[in-house]
Amino acid sequence: MSSTEQGTSSAAPAEPTTAPESAAAPEVPESFYYVHGKDKVVHKVSAGALQHSALIHGMISNLGYTEEQAKANPFPFENIDGDILQMVVDWCNQHKGKPTPPEDTNLPKQKEKLFDLVLAVNYLEIKELLTYCCKQVAMMVKGKSPEEIREIWMIPTDAEDEAAEKEAKKRAGKEAAGETAAAAGDAK
Amino acid sequence: MKLSKFPYLVQKEIFDNMKYSNLFLLWFVSKNMKTLIKSSQIMRFKSISRVMYQKLLFEEFYDRWKTNNMVTMEVYLGTEGFMMMRECHDESKNIYFQLNVFGKTINFRLSDQSKLPVAYFYPSDKETAVESIHNYFLDFFGDTVEYIWRAKHPDNFIPRLPNLSLSIDIWTDPSEITDIKSLEKFFDSSPVLKHLLIKLDTHEAISPESKFYQAESLRIIHQRPRTVRALLRHFKGRQATLHYCRCVISELIEFMNRWRSGEAFHKLEYLHIKILNGWQLNNVLNANGVKHIDATKKPPTHTVPKVCTSVRDNEPNTDPITSHTYVVRETDNRVASVSIQDLSFSFGVWKKTEEEFLRMVEAPN
Repeated sequence: MSSTEQGTSSAAPAEPTTAPESAAAPEVPESFYYVHGKDKVVHKVSAGALQHSALIHGMISNLGYTEEQAKANPFPFENIDGDILQMVVDWCNQHKGKPTPPEDTNLPKQKEKLFDLVLAVNYLEIKELLTYCCKQVAMMVKGKSPEEIREIWMIPTDAEDEAAEKEAKKRAGKEAAGETAAAAGDAK
Repeated sequence: MKLSKFPYLVQKEIFDNMKYSNLFLLWFVSKNMKTLIKSSQIMRFKSISRVMYQKLLFEEFYDRWKTNNMVTMEVYLGTEGFMMMRECHDESKNIYFQLNVFGKTINFRLSDQSKLPVAYFYPSDKETAVESIHNYFLDFFGDTVEYIWRAKHPDNFIPRLPNLSLSIDIWTDPSEITDIKSLEKFFDSSPVLKHLLIKLDTHEAISPESKFYQAESLRIIHQRPRTVRALLRHFKGRQATLHYCRCVISELIEFMNRWRSGEAFHKLEYLHIKILNGWQLNNVLNANGVKHIDATKKPPTHTVPKVCTSVRDNEPNTDPITSHTYVVRETDNRVASVSIQDLSFSFGVWKKTEEEFLRMVEAPN
């Protein structure tokens, strides 16, 4: 588990504790980076663990930060809830440098948590974890009737889809009319 | 959890991880879902070559509510069950949910054992229900997929629907005398015959005009000389296997001559005859036009994917033929390997000219 530091801002994070490393000490000192979510809790994560995330890996690969610079500039992921980012960091640490197993049974069972995790993992581009999550989402509707599927995944009916489409068209029409009126006003 | 909040690629990944039977049910949730399934699963659907409707052998394994007179069919995609269809006489016990399948409301429930959706309908509704379900599949997978109805007897229900061919195993009791006229009538009114397995222990040959000879794949048990002769003259399909037959060498030589001249058997890919009276069978290989590869060299092995596998024969490919003898068709220079082994005559047509074929022959080490 990576340790966290509650309530610190990204600009000047206090000393976060280090995530546990594998038993064998690396020959070359490993570099660390810092990330935080919506709750501003900063997580210290090794570059090795962050390799799972194509997004973060792409961001850090050319930075060449020193430890101090990395600490002073944690990556902010304001669109990800703190507990979800914690799950992601834990997963990256657990699977650091290891081949990912075919199944992962430690994913959240609660629908909403899983939903948020999928969005976060997709944003961070963690392919293997996304596949596990999507498998779990797919399993939710196994052996369910169409109405049960609709309920679980909150899929609108055809009538609701049509109504939403009409509403969207109406709104777009209004916005277009507003823009035209504003442009005419500007011209005057 | 709102599925629509996920980006398209995530939705696709979720659908990629769903079984076809679940996608089938998701399809009915809304028009938008149907569009999304179609667009995201297009490559997956393209990889499907065949949809089979077949009666299960072990129905009770799949559903304990089966009664003895039920017709149960399952659509297989590779080895994946898709759905089941079942006639019932008292639907009220089984109604779980209703779906509008191509304009027809059909009752469904989910099998407790297999979790597959099971469509229930009255016997009087069978034709329209099957037609609606078939239309649904045509819409779901498109018309490039091969749709095969597998039956076990001419008396079984066999729908006549667009893009639906028939595979039938007529495995009658040995004591039962096959009525050739009824069989001819059945073949002539049946859909395109994809595969036919038949035990044909009869002295009478089937009429040369019968659609029987147009079956793409034939497997016949217990052929008598007249029926073997007729088949060796009139077969127009791609693959034929004849077991426990009686025939004479001159008929095999005549068959090869007609193939060589390009007069008949244009679609033929594979012929195998297991002969009971194999006396001097090797003389076939000394017939005019049969060519020989040097015995020290290694000839290529012929095998083709079977047109249709069956419960009794689920090997995906035809038996391999590795032979030093071959014939060449005069019209297009195509080669057929000819083999006589263990009282069997095997004939495998290559999509190769003689020159191309000989290039595959390996020199001794």
